[in-house]
Amino acid sequence: MIPGLEFLEEWYSFILRGFLITVEMTSIGLAGGFVLGSLLALGDVYGGRLVRVIVNSYVEFFRGSPLIIQLLFFYYGVPAITGVKWSAYTAGAITLILNSGAYQKGYIKGAIEGVPKDQIVAAQALGLTNWQILRHIVLPQAYRIVIPAWTNELVALGKSTSALLIIGVGELTSAAMTVSALTFKPLEVYTVIAILYFTWLYSSLKITELVYKKVRIPGLGEEI
Amino acid sequence: MSSETILEGQDIWKIYGSLEVLRGVNISIRRGQTKVIIGPSGSGKSTLLRILGLLEPPTRGRVVFKGRDVYSEGLDLAKIRSKIGFVFQQPSLFRHLTALENIKLGPKLVLGMSEKEAERRAREMLKLVHLEEFADYYPAQLSGGQQQRVAIARALAMNPDILLLDEPTANLDIELTWEVIEVMEELARKGITMLVVTHEIPFAREVADEICFISDGVIQECNEPEEMIRNPQTPRARIFLKRLLGEV
Amino acid sequence: MSIVSDLFFILNGITATISISFLSFGIGFLLGILLAFIRLYAPKPAALLGDAYVKLFLGVPVLVFMLLFHFGFGQFIPLFKSAYFSSVFALGLRSGAYQSQIFKAAINSIPRDQLLAARALGLTDSQILRHVVLPQAFIVALPGLGSEIALLIKDSAYAFILGVLDITKYADILRAAYREFVTPYVLAAMLYIVLTFPIANYLDKLGSRLKKKYAL
Repeated sequence: MIPGLEFLEEWYSFILRGFLITVEMTSIGLAGGFVLGSLLALGDVYGGRLVRVIVNSYVEFFRGSPLIIQLLFFYYGVPAITGVKWSAYTAGAITLILNSGAYQKGYIKGAIEGVPKDQIVAAQALGLTNWQILRHIVLPQAYRIVIPAWTNELVALGKSTSALLIIGVGELTSAAMTVSALTFKPLEVYTVIAILYFTWLYSSLKITELVYKKVRIPGLGEEI
Repeated sequence: MSSETILEGQDIWKIYGSLEVLRGVNISIRRGQTKVIIGPSGSGKSTLLRILGLLEPPTRGRVVFKGRDVYSEGLDLAKIRSKIGFVFQQPSLFRHLTALENIKLGPKLVLGMSEKEAERRAREMLKLVHLEEFADYYPAQLSGGQQQRVAIARALAMNPDILLLDEPTANLDIELTWEVIEVMEELARKGITMLVVTHEIPFAREVADEICFISDGVIQECNEPEEMIRNPQTPRARIFLKRLLGEV
Repeated sequence: MSIVSDLFFILNGITATISISFLSFGIGFLLGILLAFIRLYAPKPAALLGDAYVKLFLGVPVLVFMLLFHFGFGQFIPLFKSAYFSSVFALGLRSGAYQSQIFKAAINSIPRDQLLAARALGLTDSQILRHVVLPQAFIVALPGLGSEIALLIKDSAYAFILGVLDITKYADILRAAYREFVTPYVLAAMLYIVLTFPIANYLDKLGSRLKKKYAL
C-alpha cells in the first residue's frame, strides 16, 4: 500500500458506496433532465406565447439560482408547504432533474433549430404533416447534433452532485468529509476523491465520444 | 382528345408589404406538357413557382389543381402538395437518411405504402435517375448533381401529377449541371408534366412545349421555343434573351 | 419573522457573496489570460501543463478543492484556515481554467487571413497580438465572461458549506434557528437571480451588439 493511503484499506468500501450514489444520482438527473429538457425545448420552439413564457420563466429560475438553494428548498421547503414526506435522496433526485432539465433545454433547442430549414420545406413539399416532419426529419437529426454540447451537461451534473451533501445524501464528497474527519488525513482523502471524480468523468466522456462516433452520420454534426 | 389542365394560376398577385412581386399572373399547364419559365432575377419566377406548389399562398388570385380551387375550397394542402412534386434550387435532402431512405420516406408516410412497396418504388426511381449504385450513400457523400438527381427521384416517387422545378441547376457547376439536365430531358420525353424555371435554353429548345417570359411580376409573352428565341415579341424579352444567349 | 425582516437578515450575506464572486472572477480573469497564452503560444511542455491544469479543474467539483484547501492545506498554511480565503482561492483557480477556455476559443476565432494580412504588412507577432488579436478576442469573449460571472455568483454558495456567512448561510440560519422552511430560500433564490441575470444579460447583449457592429 502506498504510504499515506493506508486509510483506504479500512475505508474503501465506504468511499465506494458514496461513489455509487454519486453515479446513481448523476444518471437519474441526466436522464430525467433529458426528458424534461426535450419537453421544454419543444414547448419553446413550437408552443404558443403562453407556453413560451412559462417555459422561459422556469428555465430562468432554475438557471439563475444556485443548485444549493434549490436543494434546500426542495428538501425543507416543499415538505413544509405540501406535507409530503420525502427522503433526502428523493428530494435530491427531483431537484437534480428539474435543474438539469432547465440546462438541457437550451442545448436541445439549439439542436432543433440547427436542423436546416430547407429540409423542412422539402418535407412539406412532399406532403408530410408537421407532426411527421418533427418526428422523422427534425428530431432524428437534433438528437445527433446535440450530443457534443450535451457532454458538457454530463460533466457539470456529475460535479454538482457534490452539493447533495448539504441535505444529507451520502454521495462521494460527503463520504470524503466523513473519512477525512475520522482519519485526520484531509490532504490524502480529498486528493484521492479528486482523482476518483476525475477518472470517472473523463472515462464517461470517452465512452460518450465512442457512442457518438458510432451513431454519427457523415455530414451531420461536428467533430467531438 | 384534349388533355386536362393539371395546374393553373389565375390572376396571381403576391405583395410583400409595399413590394408587388407578382402582378396578375395567368398560367396553366396541361397533362404531358413541359413548360419553361425564364426571366431576370427579381421577376418573381421563383415566387410564382412556390405559390403554384402551394408552399406560399397568393395575396390575391386562385390556384386551381385539376379543376379545383385549392384555397377557397379549403382542401387539405398537405395531401395536394404530395401530388405536386417540387424540386428546389438546393437539393435539400434529409441529411440523416441515405439516398434510398430519402426517396422512401414520402411514399411510406404520406402515401401509406408498406416498407416493401416503398423500397421497390424507391429503387425504381433511383434507376430512373441513373443512381442505383448510390442507394446507401448519405447526402454528404454525394456530389451536387447526384444530390439533385436524388431530389428529383424523391419528388417523382410520390407519383405526382406535375413536377415543378425551381432553377434546379443554378447552384451546380457546369459538369454537374449536365447530368441533371439530361435526366430532366428524359423525363420530359417520357411525358411527365413539368413546369421548370431555368436559364438552360438548350434544354427548353430540346423538350419544352412552350417558353414563358416573366418580368416585373407579369408574364410578358409565351411562345414555342424556336419562335421565342428567334423572334421575341416584347422588347424586354428581346433584351433578356440577347444577354442570355449572347449575340446571335 | 416577516418577509421583509427575513430579507434584511439574508441581505447581511450579500457582501460575502458579491466579494467572493468578484474576487474569484478577477483572479480567474488574470489567470485565464495567462493560461490561454501559455496553452496557445508557449513551448509544448508548458502548453501541455496548461492543458492539464484546465482538465483538472474541469473534471473535479469545486467543492472538493474548497475542502482540500481549507481542511487539507489549512493544517499547515494559516491563510487557508480562513474559509473565506479557501473559497475564493478555489473558485479563482477554477475560474482561471474556465476563462482560459473562453479566451482560447475567442483568440482562435479570429480568422487566419487577418493574421496573414497583418504579417504581410510587416507587423511583428507581438504587435499583431496586441492590435489585431486581443481587441477582437475580447469582444468575442464577452458573452462567455458574462456567463462565467453568473456561474461564480451561483457557485459562491458552496462557501456556506465551509461556514462562510454569505446569502445562503443566512437563509439557512433562518431555517435552523427560526424554523422557517420556505421564505428564506425563496428570497435567497430571487436574490441570486437578481444578481446573476442583469450582469450576464448585459454582457451578452453588449457582446452581441459589438460583434454585429464589427462583423466579428
